[in-house]
Amino acid sequence: MTDGHVTAAPAGAVAQAVDLTKVYGTGEAAVRALDGVSVEFERGRMTAIMGPSGSGKSTLMHCMAALDTPTSGTVVIDGVTVNGLKDKALTTLRRDRLGFVFQSFNLVPTLTARENITLPLDIAGTKLDQAWFDTIIDTVNLRDRLTHRPNQLSGGQQQRVACARALVSRPAIVFADEPTGNLDSRSSAEILGFLRRSVDEFGQSIVMVTHDPVSAAYADRVLFLSDGRIVDEINEPTADSVLARMRGFEPAGRQA
Amino acid sequence: MLRITLKSVRGHFVRFLLTAFAVMVGTGFVAGTFVLSDSIRATLDGLFNQASKGVDVVVRGTETGAAGQASSGRAALSLDLEKQLAAVPGVKRVVPDLQGTALIAGKDGTAVRSGGAPGLGFFWDPQGQSFTLLDGRGPTKAGEVAVEKRTLELSGLAVGDTTQAVIGEHRQSVTIVGEVKFGAGTTFGATAVLVDAQTARTLFAPDGRVGDFQLEAADGTSEATLRAAVAKVLPADAEAITVTDFNEENQEALGTALGFITTFLLAFAGIALFVGAFIIYNTFAMIVAQRTRELALLRAVGASRPQVRRVVLGEAFVVGLVGSAVGIGFGVLVAAGAKAALRSFVGIDLSSDLPVDALTVATSLVVGTVVTMVGAYIPARRAARIAPVAAMRDDLSIPAKGLRLRGTLGLSGLAVGAGLVVTGVTRDDIAWLLVGPGALLVVLGAIVAAPVIARPVIRVVAAPFAATLGVVGRLARENALRVPRRTATTASALMIGLALISALGVVAQSTKASVADLVAQEIRSDFVLSAGGGVAVPTSVGPAVAALPGVQSVADAVGFGVRSSDGEDLGASAGTAKGLGDNFDITMRSGSLDAIDRGEIIVNGDTAAEQGWTTGSKVSLAVGALGQKEYTVGGVYAPMQILATDIVVGEDLFEAAVPAAQRFNQGVFVKAAPGADLTALRAALVAEVKQFLVVSVEDGEEFQSTAAAGVNIILGILYALLLFSVVIAVLGIINTLALSVFERTREIGLLRAVGLRRRQLSGMITIEAVTTALFGALLGTALGVGLGVALQRGLKNQGLELLAIPWSTILVVLAASAFVGVMAAVLPTVRAVRLDILKAIATE
Ligand SMILES: Nc1ncnc2c1ncn2[C@@H]1O[C@H](COP(=O)(O)OP(=O)(O)O)[C@@H](O)[C@H]1O
Ligand SMILES: [Mg+2]
Repeated sequence: MTDGHVTAAPAGAVAQAVDLTKVYGTGEAAVRALDGVSVEFERGRMTAIMGPSGSGKSTLMHCMAALDTPTSGTVVIDGVTVNGLKDKALTTLRRDRLGFVFQSFNLVPTLTARENITLPLDIAGTKLDQAWFDTIIDTVNLRDRLTHRPNQLSGGQQQRVACARALVSRPAIVFADEPTGNLDSRSSAEILGFLRRSVDEFGQSIVMVTHDPVSAAYADRVLFLSDGRIVDEINEPTADSVLARMRGFEPAGRQA
Repeated sequence: MLRITLKSVRGHFVRFLLTAFAVMVGTGFVAGTFVLSDSIRATLDGLFNQASKGVDVVVRGTETGAAGQASSGRAALSLDLEKQLAAVPGVKRVVPDLQGTALIAGKDGTAVRSGGAPGLGFFWDPQGQSFTLLDGRGPTKAGEVAVEKRTLELSGLAVGDTTQAVIGEHRQSVTIVGEVKFGAGTTFGATAVLVDAQTARTLFAPDGRVGDFQLEAADGTSEATLRAAVAKVLPADAEAITVTDFNEENQEALGTALGFITTFLLAFAGIALFVGAFIIYNTFAMIVAQRTRELALLRAVGASRPQVRRVVLGEAFVVGLVGSAVGIGFGVLVAAGAKAALRSFVGIDLSSDLPVDALTVATSLVVGTVVTMVGAYIPARRAARIAPVAAMRDDLSIPAKGLRLRGTLGLSGLAVGAGLVVTGVTRDDIAWLLVGPGALLVVLGAIVAAPVIARPVIRVVAAPFAATLGVVGRLARENALRVPRRTATTASALMIGLALISALGVVAQSTKASVADLVAQEIRSDFVLSAGGGVAVPTSVGPAVAALPGVQSVADAVGFGVRSSDGEDLGASAGTAKGLGDNFDITMRSGSLDAIDRGEIIVNGDTAAEQGWTTGSKVSLAVGALGQKEYTVGGVYAPMQILATDIVVGEDLFEAAVPAAQRFNQGVFVKAAPGADLTALRAALVAEVKQFLVVSVEDGEEFQSTAAAGVNIILGILYALLLFSVVIAVLGIINTLALSVFERTREIGLLRAVGLRRRQLSGMITIEAVTTALFGALLGTALGVGLGVALQRGLKNQGLELLAIPWSTILVVLAASAFVGVMAAVLPTVRAVRLDILKAIATE
């Protein structure tokens, strides 16, 4: 990847974790899923997170995205300190400043694609910015699928709807946990291309978990997690450089 | 397999608890009915045994005609027979059955009454065993009374007090000299006052005639021997019967009445169970759907179809058994409630406790368990059909079968049922054989077609929510429509109860309107004097009132039995031509009303047509206690509600036919003279009847509302009973919602993740519940009103002339249903709101 796409938005951290720790369970059964993670995600950049299964990638995403509370440490999203916020404030934060794409089950089955995309706005009661909506729809190439329900869409189309939804409310940052984990390589490429474009053209900030070096290469920066700690990072990754780095972590395994 | 079954019950504990609750309410009704009727039977047994203590043979008049309200249908016996009977060898004692009405005024000066139960008068028989003295002594002369324990309690008086009393028809001042206890402990609600034997003779048998004599045998003489000995000396119009046979006869008669109560309550138990079966079906259907993978895994590892079916039916068995076992306990509560209600509203006091016998337990358990297993049968079959490969499939939804067949079937059922009902009611006489099955078909058709009807109806019902609440409303609507079958089944439970409630409402409202209309159309009286149920207006009131200045004429409301020559029982009323003519709007089709003053009879138009009688016919009838005699038909009157009896006879004939003690006068209709001062007349009437303690004076309007009050009480009882089926329906909504919330765990997690607030989530679930409830309510009220209107049409000639639809009640019912939806959503909402978003998302 080239330098040209790095920052379309003002530089600086859009999301930040300081000394983040997450412990599941107590006593003998306690698991340190995150063990003192400090990290900054820059505005207008795409960051990939990699690491073996059980290394704490999902936990980090969940804590950063205000879906889970860390045991200790601080999370700041777009200038807002998440720690200590009540459910109502957290909900509003998620709704207005955060976007998500999960590995699967991203859509409400009773709503059409269009309704799924506008869901965060509808929930907030915010008026839809039609031009922005059109831009997104055209980018994900979904115009002729808008009236379909999720069960009438392919897996790739469903994930594109999910991405469109994550972007529609212009969130400060989008977290995607293995968004292409269930897709074939062609659909994966579509999704990743779309995420990349949203960073390049709209200045969107994105954090994405992936297992695939080729996917990671779409990002501006790759973080490597192991046993709840950030152990390495690569800027301007290529599939080869990522693969080479991953070999160094063998035999930790590659599947989540 | 058994282990899997039990594990599953434990695993889905709350869900099964709700299902078991539905079973419990249904079986509770069944058990309660049995317990209550056993209690009534035990009380009656005690009553009979006590009443017949020291009695071996009963001598009574032979049966002459039909028993009516003012007549036992038996010849009355002269008191003179007493001496003859006493002289028969083997007779130890003869006791004439001197009974009548007797009331005392309580501390507050008003008559002591216990609900609508009668006020009975007996005489104190020092050797008798029916009553035992608790305090003081028995009455020995006029002006002294002994009062039954509970009656004395109600009066607030004590032994030694002096009060006013109406004995028979005579008002007098009495001193309470003793307190007695009825041997059986209860008089079944009636108040009881005892006078001395001589007073009883003059006041309870003023014409020297009584209904029967009770004979006690001398030591060593058996009932049968005594009966045979006595029979020899009896006149032709008297017969002797052993007390064993006598009690059996009475118990049989009461058994029939009891059977009616039992059938009535069991009908409601049936409704409750029917509704419960829907809930059970729904619960099991959902649990099976959710466990598709687990059940498929069972199949994959080698379980056979019957084994899988047995797992599900086994769960139903456990739930049914537990539910009905608890239901028995609930049944005792139901019976206790009914007992308390009988005591405080009707005045009937059941002395027996609430027996739970083996039959009650067995029946309840079997009924509850079988109903549960029947409800679970279809889901169990569906479970057995799950292919083993489903264990490996990601897509867990069982493909929904098309609804077309169901729609066609249900809608044609509805249409055929409606056709039957319409045919049944659009004839002169309602054809229950068409209307009953027709109504059933309509309801069943609606249940079957409900999933098809659900789509359009729910769209309309949810429209306001979707319009005002945006995506939350839309989500709620789509959720309600997601599985139309499930929504429809849930709503059906509510539909059944509300269909019955609104059909009843229409019939009741129409009855009230028709009664009011009747008062306006057929009654011309200015005042009506009545004493409330169970107590007669003394026969002397009519003549006394008639003599008041300003009164043109009076008519007594008396009914009694008549038997035709070929043994058919007919009803009769009586009066003078002037009294009836002035007070009621009678249209003579032929002949004249005056004929009754000449000893002839006039005949209801319907009866005349049935019997083929016309004016001038000579007919043979046994009127009251008189034997078969020939009467001339002096006229035929157009059928009417107020004189709905088959024939009307004159005053003289009535007095000859019905012994004074049996003349039960329900009320006196009073027509004022033209130009009379009605206010003054009312005051005079009040003054005149004041001495009778319980007689009240009402004008037309008041009479109308009193008549309507009766309808209201019946309606209240029916509504209360139907409320149980509504409660079950609410449980059903809770259950369905709770399961839906569980099913949609991931979806709820997702919605929360993208920013749905807790309040919005609660709103979504609540709207879904309200929509479902309103769907059921709308369907139910629509069906109910339709059926109610049909019934009114069918009963047009039986007193329901006017159609009146209780719109306000219906609106209240609809509003209440919406509220029920809100309430039903509380638990599922709490559960949904508490969901941990992360766990929800992670849920497979
Ligand atoms: N809810 C939980 N309860 C207990 N342990 C958990 C929970 N969620 C995750 N873990 C543990 O935390 C560690 C990190 O998990 P996760 O963040 O899901 O890893 P990754 O996404 O990198 O595969 C794992 O060891 C996992 O078993
Ligand atoms: Mg993960």
